[in-house]
Amino acid sequence: MTGPVDTPAPESHPVTGLDDVVHQRVRLGILTIAHEARRVEFGFLRTELGLTGGNLSQHLAVLETAGLVGIEKGYEGKRGRTWISLTTAGDAALAAEIARLKQLIARVETTVPRQGEAS
Amino acid sequence: MTSDAVSAGGDPRRLLADTRTFARRVRVAQRVTWLPLLVLGVVTFGAILVQAVSRPVTTGCRTTDAGEICKVWNPVLESYWLVAMVAAYVVIAGGYLRVARARGLGSRVRPYVIAGVAAAVLMFTLIAAGAGRWIVPDPHDLLNPSTSILVLFRLLTASGGIGLALLVLAWLERNVALLLFALGYLAVVLVPINFGWGSHWSGKSEGAAQLIVNGLVLLLAGAGFALAQRLRASR
Repeated sequence: MTGPVDTPAPESHPVTGLDDVVHQRVRLGILTIAHEARRVEFGFLRTELGLTGGNLSQHLAVLETAGLVGIEKGYEGKRGRTWISLTTAGDAALAAEIARLKQLIARVETTVPRQGEAS
Repeated sequence: MTSDAVSAGGDPRRLLADTRTFARRVRVAQRVTWLPLLVLGVVTFGAILVQAVSRPVTTGCRTTDAGEICKVWNPVLESYWLVAMVAAYVVIAGGYLRVARARGLGSRVRPYVIAGVAAAVLMFTLIAAGAGRWIVPDPHDLLNPSTSILVLFRLLTASGGIGLALLVLAWLERNVALLLFALGYLAVVLVPINFGWGSHWSGKSEGAAQLIVNGLVLLLAGAGFALAQRLRASR
């Protein structure tokens, strides 16, 4: 009986590793802002991303369902405030997405012929 | 407005550029750079007053081939620096957290506060222990210190600690202006500017001129950063 043979995996195209939940400008923006800010308030995200409250809520729901952000609701005086923070999985997903974007750009730059070389 | 209005269409270059823009905006929104400069400037001016009413203590004198070496330190002044610096960093941390919270953000000030308090405790411990005799064991070097030893001794002071901690804050905030200021401030601390004033003052007031320069540099920079922040906010 032979054991599993280690064969080098064929180099996959970076596009195949993209996560649909994260590979979207608004959701990537939410993850980036939450990562930089440690925790961010709903109003700051809405202003920075130029979204309506309802639209932002939908994106947050997608990220929360995927386990990438945690949402904490509370009050400051009589004013309700919603704070968003990254989970460990969210942190990893953001790092992976940025790495893949860099890979994609590097691949495009090495495969697309420069102007003048195409003729 | 919907998400379609801000869609990047999956263009990786634009997505990556957007993440950098968002990250930069957050870091700018978290900045309260004027606060530590103002607070530490006030603490520095407080040290001038404490120095004026306190006396240095000379102990542990020993005679060597090169001459007599003693431990000279001002316990009241050094204790003031320790207490005032810890209090200052508590005020700075509170201010940063308060402002960041009001802007709807968390804060990344903790490493700066830890670095600042650690530097204050380290400087106090080194000065109280008379560490100069251990750092420079050769009595000739202590009595006739070279430029590098003088620079090292100036770095191992409360003012040097302020400059080192500001480098940490500049890195945390990715703030090039603060980095340049911190390097300039350290240059002022390490290579004292001598306008000739204070050279004929009494022994009690020795060093006051340097503290006035350090305090003024901090306060003026604090005012400058506050003005810059105000102008940016009004745009």
